[in-house]
Amino acid sequence: MSQLILLAVVNGLIVGAFYALMAIGLSLIMSLSDVINFAHGGFLAVGAYLAYSMTPYVGFWGGLLIAPVLTAGLGLLVEKVLISRVYGRDPLYSLLLTFGLAFIFEDVTRYIWGAQGLPYQVPGWLMSPLSLSLFFLTGYRVFMMALIMVVVGALFWLMTRTRLGLRIRAGTLDLETVSILGVNVRVLRNLNFGIGIYLAGLAGVLAAGQLGLQPTIGDSLIMPSFIAIIIGGLGSLTGTLLGGLMIGVASGLATVFVPSASEAVMYVMMAVVLLVRPQGLLGEEGRF
Amino acid sequence: MSFLEIDNVSKHFGSLVAVDGVSMKVEKGELRAVIGPNGAGKPTFFNLITGMLSLTKGRITLEGQDLAGVDPSQRVGLGMARTFQITEIFPDLTVRENIRIPVEIQAGLSMSPFMPKAMRAPISARVDELLEAGGLTRIANRLAGELSHGDQRATEIMMSIALKPRLLLLDEPTAGMGDDETYAVARLIRRIHKDQGLTIVLIEHDMRVVFNLADRITVLAEGRPLAEGTPQDITENATVQAAYLGGEA
Amino acid sequence: MENFDIRKQGPNLIVWALLLTLPLWINYVSYTQLGTQIVAMALGAMALNFLLGYTGVLSFGHAAYFGLGAYGAGMTIRYLMPSTGAGIIVGTLAGMLAAMLIGPLIVRLRGVYFAMVTIAFGQVFYFIAFRWNGVTGGDDGLTNWKRMPIDLGFTTLHIESQATTFYYFVLAVFAISVGIMAFLLRSPFGRTLIAIRENERRTRFLGINVNRHIWISWVISCTFMALAGSLNALLNNFVDPRAFFWRQSGVFVIMCVMGGMRSFWGPLVGAAIFIWLQDELSSMTANWQSFVGLVFVVVVLFFPRGVLGILRRKATE
Repeated sequence: MSQLILLAVVNGLIVGAFYALMAIGLSLIMSLSDVINFAHGGFLAVGAYLAYSMTPYVGFWGGLLIAPVLTAGLGLLVEKVLISRVYGRDPLYSLLLTFGLAFIFEDVTRYIWGAQGLPYQVPGWLMSPLSLSLFFLTGYRVFMMALIMVVVGALFWLMTRTRLGLRIRAGTLDLETVSILGVNVRVLRNLNFGIGIYLAGLAGVLAAGQLGLQPTIGDSLIMPSFIAIIIGGLGSLTGTLLGGLMIGVASGLATVFVPSASEAVMYVMMAVVLLVRPQGLLGEEGRF
Repeated sequence: MSFLEIDNVSKHFGSLVAVDGVSMKVEKGELRAVIGPNGAGKPTFFNLITGMLSLTKGRITLEGQDLAGVDPSQRVGLGMARTFQITEIFPDLTVRENIRIPVEIQAGLSMSPFMPKAMRAPISARVDELLEAGGLTRIANRLAGELSHGDQRATEIMMSIALKPRLLLLDEPTAGMGDDETYAVARLIRRIHKDQGLTIVLIEHDMRVVFNLADRITVLAEGRPLAEGTPQDITENATVQAAYLGGEA
Repeated sequence: MENFDIRKQGPNLIVWALLLTLPLWINYVSYTQLGTQIVAMALGAMALNFLLGYTGVLSFGHAAYFGLGAYGAGMTIRYLMPSTGAGIIVGTLAGMLAAMLIGPLIVRLRGVYFAMVTIAFGQVFYFIAFRWNGVTGGDDGLTNWKRMPIDLGFTTLHIESQATTFYYFVLAVFAISVGIMAFLLRSPFGRTLIAIRENERRTRFLGINVNRHIWISWVISCTFMALAGSLNALLNNFVDPRAFFWRQSGVFVIMCVMGGMRSFWGPLVGAAIFIWLQDELSSMTANWQSFVGLVFVVVVLFFPRGVLGILRRKATE
């Protein structure tokens, strides 16, 4: 029994780390640009499929390295050409725009790579269990967790120690002042969007190794990411990370004990947080 | 007991003390101006009265009733109406609709899914009366968002008057206006003050407006009360001269 | 109802004339069932616009109430009693009840945050419909039920077999519903909602408990949305979890924007264009989804005021 619980917790942490990776990107974009990026799941799928297509030439590691960067490049382009046009307008319009993009992304992905699920090859040595008693703990899972931790750590470093990060954080608090101080807000938003999409692309490649490839791969991750943001508190990256891990573990445990409630449990947690602390666990009061 | 009593109020933002032990008594029917150089804590002081900020220390009473814990929209129910430094109106509605909405709210109709027949005529009459009193009749059917700054301010003031307040709070009513507009708005304030005997507290930058309108003036500096008196007292007050008027002249 | 002003009443006359005569001309461009679907979905879009366009609150989760209406109607007819009327009533009340309960959790939130939370709550119902196989039919949808003839005492409406009769039945429900919404919007209560849309801070400082007003507007909006959902389910004699899905919510929002959020009939125009377009596209290409997405992008970038917004602007110029 205790091993079952351990399995559920580990599974939950892994899934939660995915949610967090998505959610942090979404949250960055939402805080600085007031845009809910519905196309985030679409970018995730693009990252996964790009990695799939380039693996025969550059191998698994090459794909892992290059695909998220290409996805981020696509993100920079989409932001510059389309999304930046609706800044300053009612947030309704940016929602609809990214909503439309989500439709297009999913359909184009299906058109190029087909609707069928595709297998994604991970190096064999990564796939074997680490030990017999912990049969579910494959090297790949440990590797994913470690990589996500490194990336999130790097992101926190970027946000707190570099000029770009400091500007982004200052921009989320008071965009007007930041622009008066001579920061080019358009470039700032563009780069920030790119960072968010890089995280989505990375999550895509990692998820492909775990779940295989489907055009709708991002769909199942985007809603929990919203919930992670709501629970953690918008504007707080630590909160978002925490929110993602929490709902991951909670739904992992629910899968063991009440399988039919594995999704519902996240929503219950969200409802409780909204009732008790509407700004989220680590969110600031009065921001919304 | 005075109409509005502000007793030794303070507001701290962390370690910053924005308002520090200010007291003020306003009598019924009085027009009180609060002035002070930049950084005197006027907006904070004002927001403590309207309830947008909570007190760190002190007490505010309106006709003896303690306002602690009464939120801004409830203070409206107690007879407090306010305008904002940046005019807050309904830009995509006509001036008439802008006035009509608070008239209906004042009549207790904000939850009413239909207009009671008996109320129709009195409401229209009241709207017309307010438009007239505010000098807005000629522009009643224009969109409020398209008006000049001064006309928007007049609309906002008349929206507040529509609530039949006992105390009107004006936050820099002539901020950012040219001479003509300033004059028109000052005249409107004087008229509603005289005609209705309304108690008014205003904070203002424009000294001409203040010395022309106010019955009494309170001077703040660095969050503390510096002086209080009639416009004449204040002009003659040496401390004020030194701290404030001298610097500006 | 003072003086009859033809300029003011013109749009109303055109809309009702077109809707009342629809079965006579629809077959030249499409088919009656599509007309029925347009009217049912237009009711949903107009219900959403009560909140979106007239209260200024951005809900992206209205599919939840659309789906509740649909499942409420279908499950009532299948499990409780084979009556169309009972199905509609239960479906509508289910949506209303859910909105009343969820409302207090969300009315404190604003803007994109409100949008995000409404979407997330919508997904709860999606998963319930999806997971509760035995009762809801799960992913395959709720089948084995159909709309029943309506016995009015003096006559029986054979909505189950006559497409035109069902169309007029849906149109009658639509007429009553939008009539109520129009009436409310012209009342002092409705003007207070518009005041919130125009300037929430000013409205609060006129002494209005803004959150309470938004809650009421939310419940009204969701209730009519549930009614629209039950009509749409009756049209299809079927409902599946996609009725709850967040994409359905987005479709209702685009209908409002495409037609014109600031016009009473805007969402109807948007619904007509969207449904017709989707119908044509899906019969022409397997990649119709891309085109639907493109419609979103084009509307946002080039026609943010919607069809009626543009027409009105042309008229005033």
